Amino acid sequence: MTAETIIELSGVEKRFGTLTAVRDLDLELVKGEFFSLLGPSGCGKTTALRMIAGFQEPSSGTIRIDGEDVSTVPANRRPTNMVFQSYAIFPHLDVGDNVGFGLHRSGLSRKERRARVSEALELVELGGYERRRANQLSGGQQQRVALARALVMRPKVLLLDEPLSALDKNLREAMQLELRRLQQSIGITFVMVTHDQYEAMTMSDRIGVMFNGQLEQVDTPQTLYASPGTRSVANFIGGMNFLPARLHNEGGGTLDMEIAGFGAMAVGRNPNVADHGRNALVGIRPEQLEIAAHRPEGYDSTVQCRVADIAFYGESIHYFVEVDGVPETMTVAVPNYFHSVDFTRGATAWLGVQAASVIDLGRNRDNETQQGEKT
Amino acid sequence: MPLRTDTSKGLALGAPATLYVGLLVVAPLGMLVAYSFWTQTYVAIDHSLTWENYRSAIGDPLVRHLLFRSVWIAALVTLMTVLLAYPIAYFIAFRTERKALWLLLITIPFWTSYLLRVFAWKLILGFNGLLNSGLQGLGLIHEPMTWLLYNEFAVVLTLAHAWAPFAILPIYVSLQKIDRRLLEAATDLGSGKLERFFRVTLPLTIPGIISSSLIIFIPTVGDYVTPALVGGADGKMIANLIQVQFGPANDWPLGATLSLLAMVTVGIVAVGYVLLLRFLGSRIR
Ligand SMILES: Nc1ncnc2c1ncn2[C@@H]1O[C@H](COP(=O)(O)OP(=O)(O)O)[C@@H](O)[C@H]1O
Ligand SMILES: [Mg+2]
Repeated sequence: MTAETIIELSGVEKRFGTLTAVRDLDLELVKGEFFSLLGPSGCGKTTALRMIAGFQEPSSGTIRIDGEDVSTVPANRRPTNMVFQSYAIFPHLDVGDNVGFGLHRSGLSRKERRARVSEALELVELGGYERRRANQLSGGQQQRVALARALVMRPKVLLLDEPLSALDKNLREAMQLELRRLQQSIGITFVMVTHDQYEAMTMSDRIGVMFNGQLEQVDTPQTLYASPGTRSVANFIGGMNFLPARLHNEGGGTLDMEIAGFGAMAVGRNPNVADHGRNALVGIRPEQLEIAAHRPEGYDSTVQCRVADIAFYGESIHYFVEVDGVPETMTVAVPNYFHSVDFTRGATAWLGVQAASVIDLGRNRDNETQQGEKT
Repeated sequence: MPLRTDTSKGLALGAPATLYVGLLVVAPLGMLVAYSFWTQTYVAIDHSLTWENYRSAIGDPLVRHLLFRSVWIAALVTLMTVLLAYPIAYFIAFRTERKALWLLLITIPFWTSYLLRVFAWKLILGFNGLLNSGLQGLGLIHEPMTWLLYNEFAVVLTLAHAWAPFAILPIYVSLQKIDRRLLEAATDLGSGKLERFFRVTLPLTIPGIISSSLIIFIPTVGDYVTPALVGGADGKMIANLIQVQFGPANDWPLGATLSLLAMVTVGIVAVGYVLLLRFLGSRIR
């Protein structure tokens, strides 16, 4: 354990009867970082967070916070505080008493407590709201009260369970940036649970991606985007076109591949993939594909395609195209740049891609299971 | 006749309720008020208006005593019932998965008539009752305890038992409504179980406690069956006196006056109680 570690989970597992909600979780969080647990609904994120908070006891494994084993420490004595998904604002108390709730046992005088409360409310830009009742607050304001109520405790770790999911889109995006700024200014470690990849990407220093109770990859948003370690991660972070490929030669830094539809290319080796085989899988991000009416110049590979469908997103346009030799329809995302490209459904077009944009995803397990099923 | 305006439509829709309330609440109450200002002569009613009934009722020490005792007994019954009901409601709301079964068990006493339940207590508490003969049989006491029946204690016990389900249900509902995350939030902010109960659970169930209390208190002040059957001489309450006026004494105007006095007293005590509890609740931080 390094001096900087604030939370250390080792071999943490949680079983509910026959269901294993979290399995074999190993994780080290660094002091002052903004960490997100990202994954689809039901993958065990909340359970993991609640074990850190102390609301749920691990079936096995240990949890250390700031070097101390807290596995058997009850929730009310852990140096963590939580922002609940539904905010859990006490309806019988006003804003000031909500925020000051946890300071009763602090040994502070009434005056000091009041100062701490108003300081915390200033921090979340609710200065002067002390005497408002909880039911007079909007969703965004309740969220801030919940945040102030937790931060006023000066926890070593702040836990946030889908803190923004109940807000509407504009407010949510504003709050993402604000939460991030707040975290950077106070320097407390934040652990956030979310199923929203954009939220995790914009806010976090590092993201842990979870599926079915299993932590699949822990990395910076940039690395998760550029070098996802598994197909599920690649699929969950951003959009991805998956293409089967044949691996001919894996000497040196690049892999010589024959990619379905796109032909031979030298693909950079993905450091997060360990297992390679003759049946390979590669991915191409929709925004890394060029689409043009004529064969584009200067690309490592170009192929002809047919536009099957179009979706207009405002800031971008998605073309769903079919390419000979590629089993699944591919997605091409084009920035809506003065309508520079404009195809109609059924049109024929050209795709261009650079070898540097092709992501090596290792052995193609889909293929193997399919073959396995056949035999 | 076609309905032309929203107003007439509204009146038509509201008519049955208005009629119902008018016939069953306003009319009887109006008659009661009217009677209280009349006078009973030997066989007929003197319809000239007078405050005399009120003057003599309030001036009568027996009336004041019975009124005070009714409120006192009702307050005792309410306190005892709510104190017993709260833990039961808490158990059903938080400590068991078989809520429906427990709620059903609680209503079982209601499957028999109220009168039978009162008689059952008579059988249990009486001179040759279950309790006395049982304890004598076990050799724990040598002669029957006579203080069990025909006093305030018997009235309070019988009523507390009779009202228990009515007290449990509102408290149970208010406990059940509490968002469990609020309790977790209190724990997260450092509260132990006891502190959490007094700072979150209890204040959030004050509406339930208020409904429970009023549901018991209001009818108990006016109860006359229980005091008549198990109350003995010093268990008598105001309703017994009212019943006498409408029955044997045949003085309806005085009966009406006593009824209204009891109603006003109950009203004042109830409002004071609600305000007090609300105030206490708002003091919890
Ligand atoms: N208290 C519990 N009892 C039984 N199963 C639970 C409990 N809490 C969560 N689960 C199950 O564990 C799995 C993970 O749940 P959760 O951690 O809430 O997922 P997420 O937050 O990622 O949506 C789900 O299948 C859920 O049904
Ligand atoms: Mg969750």
